[in-house]
Amino acid sequence: MSSTSNVRIEVKDLVIRYGDQTAVNGVSFTVGRGEHVTLLGPSGCGKTTTLRAIAGLEQPSAGSIHVDGVAMYDASKRANVPTEQRGVSMVFQSYAVWPHMTVFDNVAYGLRVRKQSQSEIKANVEKALDLVQMRHLADRGASKLSGGQQQRVALARAIAFSPTVVLFDEPLSNLDAKLRAEMRVELRELQRRLDITSVYVTHDQEEALAISDRVIVMNVGVIEQIGTPEAIYNRPTSRFVADFVGSANLIKGRVTGPDTFTTDGGTILKFKSPHAPTGQETEVAVRTAYIDLRGQDGDNQLPGHVRQRMFHGDFVQYIIECAAGRLIVRRPPVNLLEEGAPVTVSFSPEHTVLLQR
Amino acid sequence: MADGQLASRLAGVLRPRINGQALTTLAVLVIVGFLVLLPLVFLVEESLNVGDPMAFPPVEFGIANYISIFSEDFKTVWNTLVIAVMATVMAIVIGFVLAWILTRTNVPGREKLERLMELPYYMTPLVGALAWAVIAGPKSGFINQIWKAMGGTSDIADIYTHFGIAWVMALFEGTVAFVMISASMKSMDPALEESARVMGASKLRTTLTVTLPLVMPGVLGAMLFVFAEMLGSFAAALVLGIPGRIYVITTAIWDSTLAYPPDYGRASAMGLALFVVMFGMLTFYRRVINRGSFATITGKAFRPRPMDMGRMAWVLFSICALYIALAVVFPIAALLMTSLQRFATVILGQAQWTLANYELALSLGPVRTALLNSIMLGLGVATVGVVIMALLVWIIYRSKLWGRGAIEYLVMFPQAVPRLVFGLALLWAWLNIPIGIYGTLWLLALAYFTVMLPLGVRTLAGVVLQIDKSLEECARVCGASWGYQMRTVTLPLLKPGILAAWLLIFMACVRELGASAFLQGPHAKVIAPSIVNAFATSGTELTAAMALIQTFTVILALIILFRVARGMTKELQ
Repeated sequence: MSSTSNVRIEVKDLVIRYGDQTAVNGVSFTVGRGEHVTLLGPSGCGKTTTLRAIAGLEQPSAGSIHVDGVAMYDASKRANVPTEQRGVSMVFQSYAVWPHMTVFDNVAYGLRVRKQSQSEIKANVEKALDLVQMRHLADRGASKLSGGQQQRVALARAIAFSPTVVLFDEPLSNLDAKLRAEMRVELRELQRRLDITSVYVTHDQEEALAISDRVIVMNVGVIEQIGTPEAIYNRPTSRFVADFVGSANLIKGRVTGPDTFTTDGGTILKFKSPHAPTGQETEVAVRTAYIDLRGQDGDNQLPGHVRQRMFHGDFVQYIIECAAGRLIVRRPPVNLLEEGAPVTVSFSPEHTVLLQR
Repeated sequence: MADGQLASRLAGVLRPRINGQALTTLAVLVIVGFLVLLPLVFLVEESLNVGDPMAFPPVEFGIANYISIFSEDFKTVWNTLVIAVMATVMAIVIGFVLAWILTRTNVPGREKLERLMELPYYMTPLVGALAWAVIAGPKSGFINQIWKAMGGTSDIADIYTHFGIAWVMALFEGTVAFVMISASMKSMDPALEESARVMGASKLRTTLTVTLPLVMPGVLGAMLFVFAEMLGSFAAALVLGIPGRIYVITTAIWDSTLAYPPDYGRASAMGLALFVVMFGMLTFYRRVINRGSFATITGKAFRPRPMDMGRMAWVLFSICALYIALAVVFPIAALLMTSLQRFATVILGQAQWTLANYELALSLGPVRTALLNSIMLGLGVATVGVVIMALLVWIIYRSKLWGRGAIEYLVMFPQAVPRLVFGLALLWAWLNIPIGIYGTLWLLALAYFTVMLPLGVRTLAGVVLQIDKSLEECARVCGASWGYQMRTVTLPLLKPGILAAWLLIFMACVRELGASAFLQGPHAKVIAPSIVNAFATSGTELTAAMALIQTFTVILALIILFRVARGMTKELQ
């Protein structure tokens, strides 16, 4: 692979074992220049371990990691570049802002290591602090900062020495919900402005969908699915992805035709799949947001009634009893239906996703 | 073939860190192993010696020394058990009551009292035993003097008894019980008690049905730990047991090496037996602690809402004050009074005040040298030791080096060996090893460093574990090399912990008795054994003066150091 290629990071067949436990079991993916890729999965799925291996903080057991075509780790060639020589930057979950230094010293650290001149350091630190709106606190001791401020310092520190790759390890998980939403917007902005390549780790599916160009869903050490946020949401390939990302109804049954699925209860549903079904599939997934209750023309119309209504504010969640079983349906909070009311459930074959696993 | 595979796999594992780190581990293991384990090997050899006790190395082997523990020395074993059990019970009762008062009730001045509870620990059992000998010794003890002055005819107090020894041990070595029990009370989620109250249980019922069962594992753990400590306790039994000819195992070991000819075989066998029992208890203790029976202990420290005790609070306060009086105020006052008189008396009308004892203590060549030696050893061992221990802690808790678990085990090992036994083992080892440091301060320095390993490493580890690993990782990601990261991030963050460890090691060195007793040579005396010696051969007045000089030297050193440290932290800010 040449360094002129469009690939910035290439992870291939990565295996990471701790003793007899396998944390990462054969993971392969690439990240393009300027691309923002998120590793998404529940805790213990190996996403953070994979990220730390890219930074050189975990020792893989097999596979390879290349950055700009240079082998950072390659089991077959016995290559293993130490963390400090990899030139990748990282924002830690705990922020890791050094409490014995000022904000300025924290951000200047990577520049001092690179032996920049005093004037360069000052200029670069100020630029980085400006980006996160923290310049006015440059002389503040780092131990006197709030969580959100520490987060910003950690971010400024990670970008100050102009790295080409920045790794993010659940950087927003310690912030409260409101601040998290704000920082998400700012992060997305910053990514665009700085032309950096980033790998982001989170267990928050909403966050993953919101800030990534592509999402890699991981579970028990392997990749479940790679795709754009839209593809992951609309066309999950496995039960795990359908269940973990967004909210979906999973309906059990079997494939009885090229585009028909018969539920265990005997209801026939139409589906559309880009792949020809193998006949082994046992489930379809229907997103809770894609189910209509007004009754329309077309396929997949089922009569039923409202069993329970929960008002959430941003949406209303109904539990509908129908021939396909109990379905969860989320609708905008208008035209509320009463519990017990008869309804006709409808969802298009496009949104009836045949799960491969 | 298989060898080749293994070799290449090993090479794969080691290759990334071949830059000295793997070799470091190996070197550390060998050196620590040499310091910690080798002496015990010599001890085992000697304990099997049934021939000429003065033969190095022994030529006739047998288990007679072990058998005699249960025949000839049965009385000693019995004394040890009786005293250890009494001391443990007292220590646990005192620890439990104080822990409960200070963590669970609204006793007035709770925070100040809690800090005062540390003081008995700083007093040391040796000073405590001397003080109680002055207070409650037969005939001339202060209590008996007062009793007779009031018209009493015979003694009413005698500290030279089983109970007396146990009492002093419980007061000055039992403080660990308070620390452990209050830790388990503090780490209990107050919601567990509050929900019992909400369900309608009274305070008493809540305490009996919720609090007590939840802290029971903590109390049991403390009991095991304290009992093991008491079995290996030396100072109190030495000061208070010998006059009344009450020997426990540690003092019997000591005594048999003083006999002529010294019976090292018998001493070694008793020492090893004691070590095996203590080691077993501490292993059992670790099992109890690790078994997860502490469902309440989440590592989070809660500040439990104290119960409102109403007027009872002042009764509880008096209990705490009484403890401080018995363990700190009376002993120090008794020693002060004794040291300032020509003949110790508590009847002030008869007192002849003088500074002669201090003048004598400081003018006696051996005492002065011993004191200087102790201070020098303290400074040296603390300074060099802390650097090495910091490195060990980093290897054990931070590096990913292969074999770091083994290093941790080795480093913590001296904790399970009674000091005195370890001193005996070292004595024996260095009589055999042909390097001429026996009888010099170098051997004492080596011994101090080895026995202080668990203390120093534990103190430093406490700080290291509080420092989030990502603080260091982040430095690496920013491009810093290992050395640069250590210099700019790790060491500055560790500074308070390093200071604390230095202080603790310094204090422990200046007051070391168990290992020093065997290892000091005629030209390398240290202060604690000299104090014991003075107690046995000169008057209490001189001994009291020496004990106080030692205590105040430590306090003075602490004050100077705190000044320096405060200056340093001010500079930082």
